This record gives sequence, structure tokens and C-alpha cells, in this order.
Amino acid sequence: MRKKVALFWMIAFLASCDLIEYHPYDVRLSGELHINEKNIPLIEEKCEDKDTIRFVLMGDSQRWYDETEVFVKHMNKRNDVDFVIHGGDVSDFGLTKEFLWVRDIMGKLRIPYVTLLGNHDILGNGMDVFLDVFGDENFSFRAGKNLFLCVNTNALEFDYSHPVPDFSFVYSELQDTVGLTRTIPVMHVPPGDVEFNNNVGRVFHTMLCSFPGMEFCLHAHSHCLRHEEHFDDGIPYIGCSCMKDKNYLLFTLTPEGYEYEVVYY
Amino acid sequence: MALLLFVGTGVMGDEREDQQERRAERHKRKLERYQSNWNKLIPKYQNLQFAGSIGLLSAGIGWDYGKQRQWESEIMFGFVPEFSSNKTKVTFTVKQNYVPWEVSLGKNWVLEPLETGLFMNTVLADDFWVKEPEKYPSSYYKFSTRIRFHVFLGQRIAFDAGKHFPFRRITAYYELSTCDLYLLSKFTNKYVKMGDILSLSFGLKFHIF
Repeated sequence: MRKKVALFWMIAFLASCDLIEYHPYDVRLSGELHINEKNIPLIEEKCEDKDTIRFVLMGDSQRWYDETEVFVKHMNKRNDVDFVIHGGDVSDFGLTKEFLWVRDIMGKLRIPYVTLLGNHDILGNGMDVFLDVFGDENFSFRAGKNLFLCVNTNALEFDYSHPVPDFSFVYSELQDTVGLTRTIPVMHVPPGDVEFNNNVGRVFHTMLCSFPGMEFCLHAHSHCLRHEEHFDDGIPYIGCSCMKDKNYLLFTLTPEGYEYEVVYY
Repeated sequence: MALLLFVGTGVMGDEREDQQERRAERHKRKLERYQSNWNKLIPKYQNLQFAGSIGLLSAGIGWDYGKQRQWESEIMFGFVPEFSSNKTKVTFTVKQNYVPWEVSLGKNWVLEPLETGLFMNTVLADDFWVKEPEKYPSSYYKFSTRIRFHVFLGQRIAFDAGKHFPFRRITAYYELSTCDLYLLSKFTNKYVKMGDILSLSFGLKFHIF
């Protein structure tokens, strides 16, 4: 019996040790989980009565940990930003540890952040890690009178059994727009990209246009700065670059309109 | 004439017997060679491993060879519990070990101060691919989620049980390994430390003969 107890404690000790890994794709998680669920109330509370909102869009941190760390240090020196949006591709290979490394780096931000699902985050069983560490593939939050509609657009990773983009989600969000003056759709992959379900690109865009005050959409994925009208209707899709390029987009929303700048760090 | 015929058949009979004996001899030799060749394929040891990036627990069989039995090849099946994913996984590993030295510690105990080698692990699940499926443009992801290549260093201690025990020798080992994608992450980032990418395993080997 004593031997059994000793053996149990030995295994418990080894399992708690960082050097023990059962598989690179084992989805054995530790530390803080459900980041989006925790940070969204912080963002909503912080921005509740604000007219002017400033947020940062960055993304594609995949295997640029050093650059992401520098980004976080840089952001912590600023005190004029309300929150950060990570546009997806947290990981490069979908390995469990990659998500935890980025979570630990981003966790040092003094302001709240939310993270979208990127196509690289779905590789292997990366999506299982993402769902637990960050949160749902589709979610929304309000910052003041602005609705941020975050939608999974990584269609190439799924088949028909998993709707991407999920029109039911977008439609259900459309049912509650009371008090909103602006809607900002955010996605990882922009329409037109090979990863996007381009068969429904225009339908998707039209549905987004029925939200109040939809003036522009945001995305990541392209690894370069982009500002393109994909449907020639005056509504741009604005994309941030990857962390390798050491820059981010800083948006300022006022009741009169919006503006953004590229900030290098 | 009849006598000649009789002698003739007698000689022929002897020849036939000789031939059959030779044939039987040849067949016996061939059979022995055949059996001894296949006998070489009988696994020399069985092993059991905890952790090491190939499963929570893995079990396998192996062969040792070389002048000092310094080479070992083994195959293992591992089991990874589902944890926060939606499935339990089974993995398969092919491993090559090299154990250059043995130091006798007296009283049947032997220390093997260095063990090194390579192993390849594959996840036996449909969500993982060797080559990206055709739906992707070519070279879209440029790596395989299914197959990982690992390198390792380890040490072992062995106990020689003697002839009349079920196992000739029992070896306990630990190994520190890392894989291709972790090395790639480490080489391109100061943030990723050696401790972040090393994986520790413990195991036992039961040498049968």
C-alpha cells in the first residue's frame, strides 16, 4: 500500500513537471483558459460610456514569439489604447505548446485582448486547444456603441458539416442591434482569399452590410498591410500584417467616423 | 543377361537412395537456414515507456545487434489520453538507439552512461496528414502534422538477472528528446528556451535473450 502511494505521488510529480509531454498534439492544458470569455467583460466595462474608442489590430503571431514579446512590451508603454484584437494564427503548426506560449506572452498585456481563430490554429487538433484556451470560433462584443462581430472565415479547413462562415451566428447577431451605431466585422481570412468560401463571399458581405453603421471590415492572414474594397461598394477590408513585420494597426473610433494608422515598433 | 539386369537395377537403386539422402540433407540444411533466418527476427526485448512525446504509456518490442549489442531498433505503440481534445489517440514509433559504452558496477549491475538516437512518431488519426490533402494549393502548409522526427540523449542502468530468470537483463532508462518543429521554433526565437522543448521519458526494457 505504501509503495502504491509512493508510486502515485511519483507519477503525480512527474506529470506536473514541465518536462513531461505525452505528445506535441496532446492538448494537455494548464494555466489560464477561456481568455476571451474573461476579457470581453473587461473591454465592455472599460468602453461602456466612451465616445472615443482606440483599439489595436494585430495578428499572425505564428512562430514570431520574440516579435510578439516586443509588441507586448511596446503596448505596455502606451496608455491610450482600450484593447487589442489578435486576428488569428496564434500558432504555426497547431501544436499545443505554441498556443500556451502565445497566451503567456499576450497575458503580459496590461490591457485586455481577444483572439480570433486562424487557419493555422486548426491544424492537427489545434482547434481543440484554441477553443479551451481562447474561446469560441464565432463571438461578438460591444465597445461603447460599437459591435465587434468576430467570425471564423477559415472555410478551407472544414467541410459542409461545419458552416464557415456561420450565417446562423451572423443572423442571430443581427437580431439584437438596439443601441448600436457602428458594426465592425472582424475575421482572419478576407473574402477573395483561397482559404475563404468565395462561393458565398458576396452573400456574406451583403449580410454584413445590413448591420447598423458597417463602414469597414478587419482581417489578418495576408502577412502584409492591406486596404481593399473586395465588392466595389466603398467598404474596405483592412488587414494588418504579421508580427514579423513589427507593426500594428491603431484604430480610433469617434461618433463622427473612424481613422487608423500603422504603428511600427 | 538376367544377372546383368539385376546388378544394373541394384546400382540404380543405390544411386536413387543416395540422391534421396542428399536431397533430404539439402532440404534439412535449407530448413535450418530458413528457420534460423526467421529466428533472427524474434524480438530480443520488450519495453515499456512513460511519456517522451509518443504517448502517456507506450509498449513495444526491439532487437539489439552489433558486436557489443550497441545498436538497438525498436517499434512501439503509444496511447495519448484525450485530455481537452475530443479523442484518445494511438501513436506508432520507430526508434533507433546507439549505446556506445557499458560500465560494470559490480554485482550484476551495469551502467550505460550514454544512449542516443532518433525516432519517428506517427499519430494514427484521420485529422493528421502526412501530406496536405488535395484541396489545398500545393505547398500550402509545407509540413506534416502526422509525422514527427525526434532526437534524444539518455542514460541507462541495467541488471543482469542470469540465465534462469525470465529475463536475461532488465534495463531502466531515462531520455530527453525534442522534435523537428520544436527545434525550428527554438532556432528562430530567443523566447523559446531549451526547457520548453525538451521532453523527459522513463522506461524499462526486458531483455529476453
